[in-house]
Amino acid sequence: MEVFWRTIANYNNATWIYQVILVIIGVILTARLITKPGQRTKLAMKIYLIVLNSWIAIVYYLIYCEERKYNNILALFWGIIACLWIWDTIKGHTTFTRSHKHDILAYFLIVMPFIYPAISLARGLSFPSITSPVMPCSVAVFTIGLLLMFSENINMYIVLFLGHWSIIAISKTYFFNIPEDFLLASASVPALYLFFKEYFMRDLHKDTKPNSKYITMLLIILCIIIGSLLTATLFIGLIQGK
Amino acid sequence: MVCATPQQQATFVATYAAHLMGCGIHTSRVVRNTKRVSESLNFAINISVFQKSMILTLLHKETHHTFSEVVEIPALPISFEHNSELSALSWEAIDQKLPFELLETKYNAIISKSRIDPLFVLLLVGFANASFCKLFGGDWISMAIVFSATVVGFFVRTQMLHKHINHYIVFIASSFIASLLASTALIFNITSDIAIATSVLYLIPGVPLINGVIDIVEGHTLTGISRLTSAFLLIICIAIGLSITLFLVRDSLI
Repeated sequence: MEVFWRTIANYNNATWIYQVILVIIGVILTARLITKPGQRTKLAMKIYLIVLNSWIAIVYYLIYCEERKYNNILALFWGIIACLWIWDTIKGHTTFTRSHKHDILAYFLIVMPFIYPAISLARGLSFPSITSPVMPCSVAVFTIGLLLMFSENINMYIVLFLGHWSIIAISKTYFFNIPEDFLLASASVPALYLFFKEYFMRDLHKDTKPNSKYITMLLIILCIIIGSLLTATLFIGLIQGK
Repeated sequence: MVCATPQQQATFVATYAAHLMGCGIHTSRVVRNTKRVSESLNFAINISVFQKSMILTLLHKETHHTFSEVVEIPALPISFEHNSELSALSWEAIDQKLPFELLETKYNAIISKSRIDPLFVLLLVGFANASFCKLFGGDWISMAIVFSATVVGFFVRTQMLHKHINHYIVFIASSFIASLLASTALIFNITSDIAIATSVLYLIPGVPLINGVIDIVEGHTLTGISRLTSAFLLIICIAIGLSITLFLVRDSLI
């Protein structure tokens, strides 16, 4: 755990200025995507996401998390997500078409990267040993929020990879004592439910079995199980904290 | 109503047999079922089964006309439902002497039944693999990671197969993705080895392996060996995908 927070401190110390630049670019692009979603803005956002994911893979994991065991796995993981965005940019799977269906949750998720450091500070941590908006979980939650806001045509591979990251986030709260990751895990559960429901339910006019209501029920039960696990983990954490 | 000609009936028998072979039934059962169906239509039949095609010679018992049918075995998804219902149909055909039209209608009704929802399959495959993880001694976090890795791997497999990509490549890619995602368990102090090992089990071609052995035991050595060969090639592909992950994350295979 010490290594974990030390690597975060080193990363924040050395890259805070670049993180600020990345955050500013992200805010501008997101605002433009919401207000004036032209083709250039959409392309710029995809390029930004390629850069952001590559940053996490190379700068965060390969360079500053070198001390950690198996940092190469996570670098590879984020490298694959960056590649998925490159492929998406070429093929045009994600169209960034506004759906207006889940705006409240989407806005909440997009703002969440700024809540991460606020929680760290509220927990009594101080810079540089705090979570920042340009860290894996913040990037994951931002991407999920962005995809949820523009959920007309989404790249399901990216959603599934980020969903896997959410499961890792649940485990990280246990092993590395990062309660901030509860935000990602708990926020991604309803988002993943919505993604799955929308992606697969599009085919429900086709004659499939069991009935769509049972599939929806199964999805809801799954989300309830994950939610219960999160709650249990949170309570265990609180009890251990006391 | 126009009655079906013996030629049409013979073609139906061939289609029935090819469908049985395609949906993952062992050869002797296909032969038995097809013989029952042809018997109900007043045919005597001889069947030669190969890996990709079947040759059926049908002799009409009344007219003594002989019909030869060569049919390609379609690459269908494994279906235990088709297996049992088409077998039951063959019994019904011979026991109740079903007229050809009714037999064909029932056959079409069985094969056009609604398929299982892909999301339902995706989730159940994830649960099945997570259960394997538990059976092999994995802990709850490993199970969750295996569930997620399997869901992604299975999704990749389904999408690639939809795009008609070579299935050996599909197996290598799916195995690599599932095991790579499961390898994220290594960053925690948990049963990560079990997670990695069980993450690819959903790809194991169990039905061809079992059918291959049954075929050899029951004397259909040619189809048995060809089925086992295909299954072993797929297992090699799974091993390649898993090996790529192990070399990337651990620098060795063990």
